[in-house]
Amino acid sequence: MAETIKPPRMRIKRRLKQDEIFKVKVRFDHPSFTGLGMVDENEEKFNRAVPSTFIRNMLVYYGDELVSRFRTSSALADRPLFTFKLKAVKEAPVTVVFIDDQGERWETSEEVKFKG
Amino acid sequence: MRTRRMAPVRTFMHLMRFRERTMKLSFAIPAALMIALLGASATHAAKVVEEIELRGMVTPASPKALSAALEEQLDVKVLGYNFYATANGWPTVKIEYDSGAVSRDQIDKVINSTEDPTGRPFAVHVPDREIHLALLEEETKAESVLGSDAPDIAQVTNPIAASPESHARGEKLYMQHCSKCHGETGNGAGPSAHGFSMNPRQLWAWHNADASADPYLFWMITNGRTDMPPWGVILSENERWDLVNYIKTFEPPKQ
Repeated sequence: MAETIKPPRMRIKRRLKQDEIFKVKVRFDHPSFTGLGMVDENEEKFNRAVPSTFIRNMLVYYGDELVSRFRTSSALADRPLFTFKLKAVKEAPVTVVFIDDQGERWETSEEVKFKG
Repeated sequence: MRTRRMAPVRTFMHLMRFRERTMKLSFAIPAALMIALLGASATHAAKVVEEIELRGMVTPASPKALSAALEEQLDVKVLGYNFYATANGWPTVKIEYDSGAVSRDQIDKVINSTEDPTGRPFAVHVPDREIHLALLEEETKAESVLGSDAPDIAQVTNPIAASPESHARGEKLYMQHCSKCHGETGNGAGPSAHGFSMNPRQLWAWHNADASADPYLFWMITNGRTDMPPWGVILSENERWDLVNYIKTFEPPKQ
């Protein structure tokens, strides 16, 4: 369980062929908590007791172009690992942006480079 | 680095209570001075009429029990209830009170501590706060590029006219699939209606609703929401339209 938030990290292949389909892996140490809890001992139901904490949006840019968006909720795991595929059509950075429910923003970036 | 916000809930609440107490003290002294300066005429009474959304109203005796509890315990006047065409399906109670003598917190407390004659508690409906969080500029831009994922309710028309035959088919399906949670009378209190994140919807709001309510009801039955399953994968399209017709026959409790 992630106790603190660390910057996200991304991994892709170092050298790619033109039009190759490659895998992007992104790990982000971010907690996921609904904010629901028991305020009193005698209470039978969960109530919204403290602010919630979860990733609400993940945006993927390839170069300047926005290529994908992941809408997530408090059902997401703590410290999630996202894996998705992209097609290497150009030499440009792949940037993944995370935004949590408090409106805080993190990003990580890796350069796509072709062989030779 | 930000530490995780999963601090013990009780500690958080103690802190909040401590803050409230200190705030009350800091306000109490200037307020006392003001009253001493202005004399006995320093009253700030104002009549307020407020509509409060309710959960847990399940029997025809319910409104009487709630009105009696409110008027006995607090100096308020219950002006009436609205079971028809409310904004989101929750019944509302209209209350007139003196904001100088009674606070909204006290009213909420009385409502939340009152029980229906069947032993089911009432509650003030509080909408989920998560949906009101503002989006960043970047997210709004992403929505304009990739499209919003808000429910896109198709404006379809009901191909099955409301008739006794359609109601009979809808009733059979309702009793088989829906009544366990929404109750046999559509009161949102069926035998399985407990432990959910949100109470099942009371279906009186659509009593004798016109055709404009059809797309929403059909979309909701088809896709479900929160704890309600998507019935679109279980029931055929005609069966779902029969249910839409049948839902409109539920009558709210008499006042």
